[in-house]
Order: sequence, then C-alpha cells, then structure tokens
Amino acid sequence: MIAARHLSKRVETAAGPLDILTDIHLEIQARESVAIVGVSGSGKSTLLGLLAGLDLPSAGEVFLSHYPLHDLDEDGRARVRGELVGFVFQSFQLLGNLTALENVMLPLELRRDRQPREQAAELLSRVGLGERLQHYPKQLSGGEQQRVAIARAFVTEPAILFADEPTGNLDNVTGETVIDLLFRLNRDKGTTLVLVTHDEHLASRCERLIHLEAGRIVSPVKAASTA
Amino acid sequence: MIHFPLAMRLLARNWQSGEQRILVAALVIAVTASTTIGFFTDRLGRGMTNQSAGFLGADLVLESSRPIAADWLVEARNKGLQAIETLEFASMVINGEALLLSGVKAVQDGFPLRGEIRTAAAPFAPDAATQALPLPGEAWVAPRLLTNLGLQVGDEVEVGAHRLRITRVITFEPGSVGNPFGVAPRLLMRMADVAATSVVQPGSRLTYRYLFAGHEADVSKYRAWLAPRLGPSHELVGVQESGRAVGTTLQRTERFLGLAVLAAIVLAGVAVAMAARRYSERHFDTSAMLRCMGATQRDLLGLYLPQLLLIGLLASAVGCILGWVAQYGLLYLLAGLLPVAPATPHAWPALAGFATGIITLAGFALPPVMRLKDVPPLRVLRRELLPLPSRAWLVYGAALCAIVAVMWRYTDSWPLTLSVLVGGIALAALLSLLALLLLSLSRRFNSRVGVAWRFGLNNLWRRRQSSISQILAFSLTLMAMAVVALVRTDLLTTWQAQLPADVPNHFAINILPDQVEEFASSLQAAGVVTEQLYPMVRGRLVKINGTAVQKSVTKEERSDNALNRELNLTWTTVLQADNQILTGRWWQPEDTGKPRVSVESKLAERLDIKMGDELGFSIGGETLSAEVTSIRSVQWESFRPNFYMVFPPQVINQFPTTYMTSFKLGKEEKPLLRELVARYQAVTVLEMDRVIEQVGVVFRQVTLTVEYVLVFTLLAGFAVLFAALQTSQDDRLYEGALLRALGGSRRQLRSGHLAEFTALGGIAGLLAAMGTECLAWVLYSEVLDLQHSFHWHIWIIAPIAGALLIGAAGYWGTRTVVGRSPMLLLQNQ
Ligand SMILES: Nc1ncnc2c1ncn2[C@@H]1O[C@H](COP(=O)(O)OP(=O)(O)OP(=O)(O)O)[C@@H](O)[C@H]1O
Ligand SMILES: [Mg+2]
Repeated sequence: MIAARHLSKRVETAAGPLDILTDIHLEIQARESVAIVGVSGSGKSTLLGLLAGLDLPSAGEVFLSHYPLHDLDEDGRARVRGELVGFVFQSFQLLGNLTALENVMLPLELRRDRQPREQAAELLSRVGLGERLQHYPKQLSGGEQQRVAIARAFVTEPAILFADEPTGNLDNVTGETVIDLLFRLNRDKGTTLVLVTHDEHLASRCERLIHLEAGRIVSPVKAASTA
Repeated sequence: MIHFPLAMRLLARNWQSGEQRILVAALVIAVTASTTIGFFTDRLGRGMTNQSAGFLGADLVLESSRPIAADWLVEARNKGLQAIETLEFASMVINGEALLLSGVKAVQDGFPLRGEIRTAAAPFAPDAATQALPLPGEAWVAPRLLTNLGLQVGDEVEVGAHRLRITRVITFEPGSVGNPFGVAPRLLMRMADVAATSVVQPGSRLTYRYLFAGHEADVSKYRAWLAPRLGPSHELVGVQESGRAVGTTLQRTERFLGLAVLAAIVLAGVAVAMAARRYSERHFDTSAMLRCMGATQRDLLGLYLPQLLLIGLLASAVGCILGWVAQYGLLYLLAGLLPVAPATPHAWPALAGFATGIITLAGFALPPVMRLKDVPPLRVLRRELLPLPSRAWLVYGAALCAIVAVMWRYTDSWPLTLSVLVGGIALAALLSLLALLLLSLSRRFNSRVGVAWRFGLNNLWRRRQSSISQILAFSLTLMAMAVVALVRTDLLTTWQAQLPADVPNHFAINILPDQVEEFASSLQAAGVVTEQLYPMVRGRLVKINGTAVQKSVTKEERSDNALNRELNLTWTTVLQADNQILTGRWWQPEDTGKPRVSVESKLAERLDIKMGDELGFSIGGETLSAEVTSIRSVQWESFRPNFYMVFPPQVINQFPTTYMTSFKLGKEEKPLLRELVARYQAVTVLEMDRVIEQVGVVFRQVTLTVEYVLVFTLLAGFAVLFAALQTSQDDRLYEGALLRALGGSRRQLRSGHLAEFTALGGIAGLLAAMGTECLAWVLYSEVLDLQHSFHWHIWIIAPIAGALLIGAAGYWGTRTVVGRSPMLLLQNQ
C-alpha cells in the first residue's frame, strides 16, 4: 500500500545543511496498522508528511498505492490525498465556525459527494456524537473534538489513515476511547493505519512499530497484535 | 472548480462570527461615497446637457449693452430665424418698507425660443413647465424674492414707478444659467411694462439679449453674417459656448468632490486590505487542512473567490442603496443653489458605484486572499509554515491599478490622474515621515509619563507601520475638514470685517446727471455721510498701443474680467484717500481735457500696461484713445467707489453719464432707502450688508456640501482604525491577559488603551494642523487673495479633536480585550 525507497530529507538551515531523514526504506501493507515511534526531534512527523505526500523528499521515492508521489506536483499529490488519504492531527484542526456535522461533511463536499449530510451524520453517531451534530467545536470537549476529527477522517472511507499524535492533547481515559475508536474503524473499514505517537499504549496496539533515531530506522520490530 | 454551496456556507458562518464586518463596512463606505457623488453629478449633468439650448433659451444669443441696429433683426428674420429681444437690469423691488435688489428680466411674446420656463403656484409647491408669460401688469418672481420681501403670490410689488402683481413663482428660467449662485433674485416681467417703471435711463446699466432660433444651417449662416459686424460691446453665445461654460463648472465641482471621494475610496481600500490580510491569515489553517483533504489550489480559489465576490456584491449593493439615499442629502444641502432641477436618477451611477466596490475589493483584497491557495499542506504538521508573502509589487500594483481605475472616472484625463497620483503618493510619503518623526519624538517622553502613557506609546511604536497608516488616514481627513472650515470662517469674517463701522455699506448707482445735486442733498438732509459723487461712463478697453487686446494678450489674460465686460470709467481731480500713485503723476490743472488716463496697478500688471502706453476705449460705439500717465494702487476692500480707469475732467464727459456714490446706513436708517428709491426711480442701491449676507449663505451651503462628502472620508478613516484594531486584536488579547496575569488591573489596561489612541489622535491632529496651515497659506496667497495669519486655534483644536475622536473610537474598539478573564486567554494561546 505504501512504499518508501531510499527516502531522505535534507533542509538548509542557517548552520548548514541538516539531514532530518536518511535513507528510509519501508513498506506497509494494506490494512496494516503501523506506529512510528522515536524521541522528539527524531523525524517522525517529517516521515509522516513525506509518506502522506504533504512534502517532497530530497531524494528517494514514495509510492502511495500505485501513485509515485515524488513525481507528482502539489496539486497531483492533493488529488491522491483526496482519493486515498485521511488525516487526524494532534490539534484537532476543526473549523470553529462550522458545526460538528458540517466539519465532517467538508471532505465529502470537496469531493462533491451526493449525500454528505447523511453519511456524515451516520459516522458521527458511530463515534458516539449522534446527539451533538449541531454543536460547534468550542461547545465540545477535547476528546469529543478529536472524535469529530476521526469521523471526518473516516467519512471518505480512505484507504490509508495518517495520524500525528492523535492522543497527544488528551488525558489517558479520553485517549483510550479515541484509540478504541480509531482501531475499530480501522477494522470495520479495512483502513491502513499509520500513526506517529509517544503514547506507548497506543503504539503497542499497532501491528508494527517503526523506530526512528536521528532520522534513521533502527529496528523495524514486529509487534504482537493486540487488536 | 467552484464549490458554490460550500463556499456560501463558509461565508454565512464566517459572517456570523463577524470576521468580515470591517471589510464589508469599508467597502460599503467606498461605494456609498462614490455612488452619492455619482448620482449627484450625473443628475445635474444630464439636467444641464439635456437642456443646453433650453438653458440659453435660444440657439444663439447676442448680448449687448445697447439696443442693436434694427436691420440686424430684420436680417435674422430674412434668414428664416425667429428673433426676440429681452432686457435685463438690476433694480430695487419694493414692498412697503422692505426692498430688495432684484435681477429684472423683461421679455416679449415668444420667450423663450428654446426650452421652457418652469413655475409653481407658491414657493416649494410642485412646479411645471409653462408656455405662458406674465401678462402686462404681472410679474413672476424667484422664491427668494418673496421670502425676503415678506410677500406671497397674489401680492403687489413696486418696480421703479410701476406696480406689478405677482402671479407665479419661477423655479427655472432659460438664460439664467450663467450665474447660478447669483445674488439678486429674478423678477420676470413684460417688456411693455418697462417704460412705466422709469428705471431705464440713459447711462443705466442694461443688458440686452437678442434670442435667435431656427434651423441649424440658418443659424450658422446668420452667425457668419453677424460676426464681422460685432463691436466690442457685443457678445455672441451659442449652444456650444453655453454648454461648455456650464460643463466646466460642473466638471470642476465633480473633480473637487471626486477628490474627496477618491480619498475615501483609498482609505477604505487600505482598511479592506488590512481586513483581508487578517482574514487570510486566520484561514491559513483551514486552507492547509483542505489541502490535506485533497483540495487543489484551484479548489481553494473556487472556495474563497466566490465568497469574496459575494461579499463584494452584497457590500456594493448596500452601498448603492445608501448612496442613492445620501444623494438626496447632498441635493437638499444645495437646494436653491442648483441651476436646474436635477434630472431623474439613472441607473448608471449605481453601476459605476458597484464597479467601484468590486474594483476596490479586487485591488486591495485579492492579493492577500490569493495567498490562501499557497498555504503549504505541511502546515498541518508544522504550524510555523507560512505561504510565501505576497509579492510587494503585486500588492501595491493591484492597489495602484484599482486606484487609477477609480480615479480615471473623476479626472478623465491622464495628466491629471498622474499628477494626483504622484502628488498623493508624495504627500502620503511626507506625512508618513512626519508621523514617524512625531512617534519617535513621543517616545522621548516615555520616561516622564505614567504607566498608562508608557504602555500606550510603546504600543504605537511597536506597531508603527499600522500606527502610521492610521495617523495618515486621520490627519488627511482632519486636514481637509479643517481647511474647509478655516476658509469658510476666514472668508466670512474677512468680508464682514471689511465693513467696519465707518465704512460705507451701500452703493447708489445709476444716479441721473440732473438728479445729482438733489440726491446728494437728500442724503445730507437725512444726516447721511456720503462720499463724493463720481461720474460713470461705461466703456470697454479694446486696444493697447493700437493692437486689439483680444489679440495682444495671452489666452489667460483674455479671460480677464476687465476685458470681458464693460468697465466703469470716471473722471475726477481729487485722488481717493486710499489710492496711491505708484508711478507717474496725478492730474494737474493742465491735464484737463487731455486724452490721458490713470490705470489701476493690478490690472496694469495683468495686462502688461506701462506708462506711456496708448489705451483705446470703445464707449457707446465710439472710440477714444488715451495715454497712460499714472498707475495707481487701489484698495478694493475699502468699499468706496473705485475705478480701474480714471480720466481727467473734460475727456469723456460727452458720453452718456450716470453718477454713483457710496454711503453708510445703519440698520435703523434703512427706511430711508425706501424713500430714495421711490423718489429716484432709476437709482439702484446695492446693499452690501445684504450682498455679503447672501454670499455668506451661499458659501456656507457650498462648504457644507464639501463637508458632507468629507464625512465619508472620515468614516473610511475609522474603517482603517478598526481594521488595524482587528489586526492587532490577538496580540492585544495576549498582552492584556499577560498584564492582568502579572497583576495589572483592568483599569490600568483601559487607561493604557485610552492613552494609546488619544496619542494617535493627537499626533494625527497635530499633523493635520501643520498641513492645514501650509495649505491655507498656499490657498490664501495664491487663490483667495486673503491676508494669511497664523491660525493658532487650529493647532489647539485639531489635536484635541483628533485625540477625543480617535481616543473614544479606539477605547471603544478595544473594550473586548479587557473584558475576558486572563485564564481563558492563556488557555487559548
Ligand atoms: N524545514 C525544516 N527546517 C529546519 N529544521 C527542520 C525542518 N523540518 C524539520 N526540522 C527539524 O527536524 C527535526 C525533526 O523534526 P520532526 O518534526 O520530524 O520531529 P518529531 O520526531 O516529529 O518530533 P516531535 O516528537 O517533537 O514531534 C527537528 O529537530 C526539527 O526541528
Ligand atoms: Mg512531531
């Protein structure tokens, strides 16, 4: 589903060139759930950005399904994202002026789906917010907001879901419900899950861990599936 | 890819959150200002051009101070033209004790040949066109004549020795356009009644107007026939000339008001740009997220541009409606001064206003909003990522294009557009520099003022770019307002001051030679001090050293008033007390009867007349030439009889002569006028106190109009202020919360804000005072010919007004910043 070959990211800084990622090689199968872990600054978010086609590598290749992201321009990658990818972020990135329902409808509307309202409402009730459709983000708790974000990510039934620290801003109990949700949807919809996390509990529920250290993969450990 | 429903929903939701209010308000102001003036000038302009011939009352008009040769009229009729005669003169009109100088027009059947008279049954009653004319023994009058004399339709009024019954009120009359702001209200009567008034005497100041109408070809044939026969006292006016004169006045008004509107539009544009920039910055996250969801750059444009367009359409529509309403205010302020009833409104000023709104929006809001499509999607992971800043050339280029496009409408000429643009930029640059200087100076006081002031001044300095643009906006607006107010009060007080207690305030002209002694003794008998009685002969200056003046002088000089109308020529041996001989010598007994003349110095300078020059005059159809033997300075402001040309005795006394004098009458002595006018029917008395009063009223009305338009500019200035406040809002929220968390009180924060905006307004006011003083100096010395003195009160009023106005607005605008708990703010951060 996802393949990276000899992936490197180098940026120019005031203090000279900085290698954030060096020669990353990985392959992720469809329906697999993978956690990218490592200390702060090891390059996790950067890798996620490259895999999702949000940024271009300095060298190497990234394939999403059969699309060569490294060969596409920004709009081309955007189309691929629209077709294949869903995102969940640490800060929930909901639009404050739109209701929960409208936030979830947004990606459907961008794709000009026929019945965005029904699909969005359906998904929101699946994440347990069926009663809160017309609420605005500021009327929802952090966990509820993250659930809205998850509903929004899944509503287009993406083949791949990328998540950067999805529980980073949540307490343990809330984080747990969010994680449950993530994996349940992953299973129900057959989504490939790639997430970056500091949360060991979350990492342990993934089928595979990719360990980054100073921009290199140190040991792709196959974790026992707990899901 | 246009996502219309989604765009509309986003717009609606953003609207509820108030994000675009300032942008919309600024746009509405720009469109309202533009539409108001658009409607106003269009309605007047069409009213005028539609009726160019109607204005003139004919296809061709021949003006003359004497009756023309009978065969000229015969020739006109032979050429198939209609021809009629009208006679205009100034005369005192009397009702009981009240009298008023009126512009009398006597007409014959057939008047007007073109266009129509409009009349009403009473002042301010609805008017209608009429084919009729006053019957013998009747008069139709302008509304003001009724009000000033306390008359009503149906009453009788005295004109000279004759009584006329007033039967209608005139609201429009062809041929009166030359002087829309005329001082003497119109009285229309029959030519056949003129004799009975005994107002017309040899030497009276009369204007005969001969009206011709017919087929275009016949008119031009007649014109060609007439041209070589015309003398210096004749003037031909065709439809084109008349239209041009009216057009020029209108164009000037339009340009002047246009400049004020342009300032409003540019300021509104600045506010739009600031608001759009903030809007754009607040939507970076949304954009990045939409990119993540697969939106392409075109999708983003398809989402944001329709929103922008709809905002533009809505704001423009509201502005058009407001402008349509506001034009009535303008027309109301100018009521009674307008030369025509304005034409019914057309749609196009609304369209033009609409276009102005869209252009302003495009020029000022498009560049920042276009940035939204360039937000990198990676921003969802790395919040610090920003789209490349808009290119400076794009931002300024777009704004400049918008300004030029809008300006073009008002100036209609490239050189003017360019010079206004360059001048505007230079002025803005200069003012910015001064503002920066004042801001940095104000920081010097930092250590010597309280906490609140230090906080405020620091804020101004920290956001100095925005501070300067606000100072600029307000100083320009305050300056424009101050200049208008200053010129008005100064002109009015100067005029009034020119009538100190001992100075004559009445002129009597048209005193017949055989009544001179009697007239003087009547005044003396009443205890009125008079000046000398001066003989007055009407003539034109036609030649300088044998060359016709119309050829010898430049175009500007040719339009000199002294050349285009008849001059009052006089003779005397006594030099006026306030006259001074600059070169040459005053009349000695041996000059008597010699063809010599003494010339007023400013006229001599304008026409380049020197000692020893031969001046040729045309008087009553004869010519006379005289040598310049002295040049005199004259104090025109003295209100004593004064003359451009003074001859020695026995040179021009063979020509028809009337006499004039001036005298001083107190308010309580006014009844004497009634007696005088009744007894000497040909005499016209100019009541200068009334004239000045009337001019003052007109002037006040005109300046009020300008201020009316400047209100838009001021509003646009406030739009800039609030846009700047909005831009700095997050900053202010944060620093407010921080200060409060550190133990600062709400009150301290509030006084800090108050200090900040008071200082901003004060600086703007100070700059405005500087600008006003400079502008006033230029205006007074170059245009108005007034003594310029230092206006110390402006230096006090402008900064205080600025401080109060802007202090209050800013205080109000920042109220929410302190209204929130510091906890909440820190959590939000
Ligand atoms: N464009 C850039 N310019 C300079 N440095 C960069 C850039 N992008 C990333 N970095 C640096 O690269 C390193 C890796 O960044 P990245 O965000 O991938 O780390 P991370 O593993 O996600 O860390 P965290 O767990 O704190 O989120 C960091 O030190 C970051 O400062
Ligand atoms: Mg990270």
